[in-house]
Amino acid sequence: MANTETALKEATTVIEGALGAALVDYTSGMALGTIGGGKDLDLTVAAAGNTDVVRAKLRTMEQLGLKEGIEDILITLGSQYHMIRLLKGRGTNGLFLYIALDKQRANLAMARHQLKKIEAELEV
Amino acid sequence: MRTAVSPMLVRLADERATGVLVRDHGALYLADGQIVHAESPAAPGLDVLLTASGRLRPEHWADAVAQAGARNEVARFLVDSGQVAGGELEICHLGALFDAAFFALAPGSGPTRFRYGVAHWIGAVRPVPAQVVEREARRRGRLLDSLWPYPEMDTAPVERSPHTTELTVSPRQQALLNLADGVRTPAAIARKLGRPAFNTLIEVRRLAAAGLIQIRAEPAEPTEPTAISEIAEPPAMLDSALLRRLRDALEASL
Repeated sequence: MANTETALKEATTVIEGALGAALVDYTSGMALGTIGGGKDLDLTVAAAGNTDVVRAKLRTMEQLGLKEGIEDILITLGSQYHMIRLLKGRGTNGLFLYIALDKQRANLAMARHQLKKIEAELEV
Repeated sequence: MRTAVSPMLVRLADERATGVLVRDHGALYLADGQIVHAESPAAPGLDVLLTASGRLRPEHWADAVAQAGARNEVARFLVDSGQVAGGELEICHLGALFDAAFFALAPGSGPTRFRYGVAHWIGAVRPVPAQVVEREARRRGRLLDSLWPYPEMDTAPVERSPHTTELTVSPRQQALLNLADGVRTPAAIARKLGRPAFNTLIEVRRLAAAGLIQIRAEPAEPTEPTAISEIAEPPAMLDSALLRRLRDALEASL
């Protein structure tokens, strides 16, 4: 069992190359918690903006008639990976974990695996 | 623009006050200048959010309040007794806090009071700096306006638009549409669904922008045959009032 702060801390310490992480409510676009970031990466802005990414993909799936849920979304930049993991909670209002990784240092498969583990620990 | 700034809250945060700030549309609980809890009649409480989803049985909530309410440790009791996970409770409580704070910080005309030393029985969960709560309340106001700038939608009974469209909606939006019966307001729908009220306002404005939901149409006035004398009456007063309203509306949209 972990609270949001320890879960985010774990995300940025355990996951190699992590630059910052946020737990985001994708209806309101609010970051319930953030860690890391800084002047190069404003995580509250990232939280609100990535909400639109998640919503757009969910809408597309509706239009395609796909009944599956989204596990994660990966966005690859020149020097970074941005990963979004949707939380499948019982009573949650639609949350996702967002993490920005340094592409040089990150191990993508490992990062995905660890993010999954952190989600499980959050028990939402 | 909707401003959410409360000078009194800023001052209380600076002096690291503990107590409850009561405003027109809700109350904010402070501990050492940080916001630890918020309540508003417009927003479903933590009990609704936890029980409506079936996450927690209402009698278990009542039991927790009975057992730990007097010592202000209801949150801790729920976690320690294994009924709700720590992370889950915290997320749910933060959601409820920001939700209620948005309404509590809405501009109001009534007096703002602060009662020192008052603590809420939910107990310590996760304190949030007052400026973070204020910033989020302002962001929420701007977000609503950017989606569909008609705040009257927030408090009026809403119903589905009569026009059928081919637009697809998400299951979450569908659940909301099913409850839009022309009697319930967005706040009542939020309570029924066990979702934060602000999230419901957001979806209502999105659905309104898509033409799927509207404020309940007033029943049509019975049309009576117009007397000749009324037509002959010069409608100068009406015209100037109408023109003023038109001008105001145009200026407001500039």
